[in-house]
Amino acid sequence: MMNLGHQKCTEGALGEANMGFIHVMTTPNAPIRFWIISMMLVLIGLASLKIR
Amino acid sequence: MLLELAQWLAQDIRGFNVFNYITLRAVLATLTALIISFLVGPTLIRKLTHYKVGQSVRDDGPQTHLIKAGTPTMGGALILVAIAISTLLWADLSNRFVWVVLFTTLGFGIVGWVDDWRKVVHRNPKGLSAKEKYFWQSVVGLSVAIYLQQTAVLPAETTLLIPFLKNLVIPLSALAFIVLTYLVVVGSSNAVNLTDGLDGLAIMPTVMVAGALAIFAYVTGHLYFSKYLGIPYVPGAGELMVFCAAMVGAGLGFLWFNAYPAEVFMGDVGALALGAALGIVAVIVRQEIVLFIMGGVFVMETLSVAAQVTYFKYTKYKTGTGKRIFLMAPLHHHYEEKGWKETQVVVRFWIISMMLVLIGLASLKIR
Repeated sequence: MMNLGHQKCTEGALGEANMGFIHVMTTPNAPIRFWIISMMLVLIGLASLKIR
Repeated sequence: MLLELAQWLAQDIRGFNVFNYITLRAVLATLTALIISFLVGPTLIRKLTHYKVGQSVRDDGPQTHLIKAGTPTMGGALILVAIAISTLLWADLSNRFVWVVLFTTLGFGIVGWVDDWRKVVHRNPKGLSAKEKYFWQSVVGLSVAIYLQQTAVLPAETTLLIPFLKNLVIPLSALAFIVLTYLVVVGSSNAVNLTDGLDGLAIMPTVMVAGALAIFAYVTGHLYFSKYLGIPYVPGAGELMVFCAAMVGAGLGFLWFNAYPAEVFMGDVGALALGAALGIVAVIVRQEIVLFIMGGVFVMETLSVAAQVTYFKYTKYKTGTGKRIFLMAPLHHHYEEKGWKETQVVVRFWIISMMLVLIGLASLKIR
């Protein structure tokens, strides 16, 4: 933990969404993968209507 | 499968009765299919790459697509495995409609598989000949059409519903129903296949239409909601919500790997099967015309090819020189040639698809 380089500190400061972007700077599929995660979370939220 | 287990367990523990709800099983089917895709996807892509099951790219297509040559294809097998396992786990297996949609999906999947296999493994660029492909598609399409017609219990199962018009339902003769079912299933299968030309272009509209059909299936199979909305009640159709939900999960799981730049393509095995699945579900829930609206992107792509070919042949016959309506067909290539980036074309077509799905869903209430 103490040996975190400058880049890793920056990633942490930028937050999760930007971390994905930095890790895969050359991979433009990051936004779509975040949409998919978002959609699944929405679905889990909707399931809470029934599971209680 | 798990429904039977839950019902058995519910005799001692009442909490297991919650699995009787279609909506809950639909959510679980989506998550199961998604998890299967995530777990199997990377291994499948590695295997496909290892065995060099790579896509060949049309040399008359956009130049920017040449770098896609060699990307693993036949990833549609992943979608089919995820759909099949998830449906078998969460759907009521005593429901005949579940078996009809599984048979249709896997039947068209096999046709696509053979086509892909010949193209990429046997290095035969033509794959199955057009005649062979249509023959086997017709065999599966006609089989399910005849089965559905023969086993129809209520007149509502074979009437044509006109969206946005309250009291207009057209009773179909046996022959008319079989022909319509055949055209919808085979047509939608080939339309999705034509759309599958850019990374993520075919799968997301498929997911959206499947999600909407899940809602149609639920209300059509629900006595109270069907009566309230003024649509035909088809007993047992509600169970198709689980199948459609599995399609949504498997589709999103596949999109994870198919988003630009794609790590894998679905190939004919996926495109033909998914298109046929949408078609057969639309037939069972009596929403063929609504499918035509919601699948407008697929329809536009198909019409663009038909128009391009027809106009080219006509002008060549008339003037000796073939002329084109679009810069390139199918339609997505036309926009690429106009200078749109691939991702712009894909996301814009998704937006159009979303709007069309909303219009289709509005037909439930506006009539």
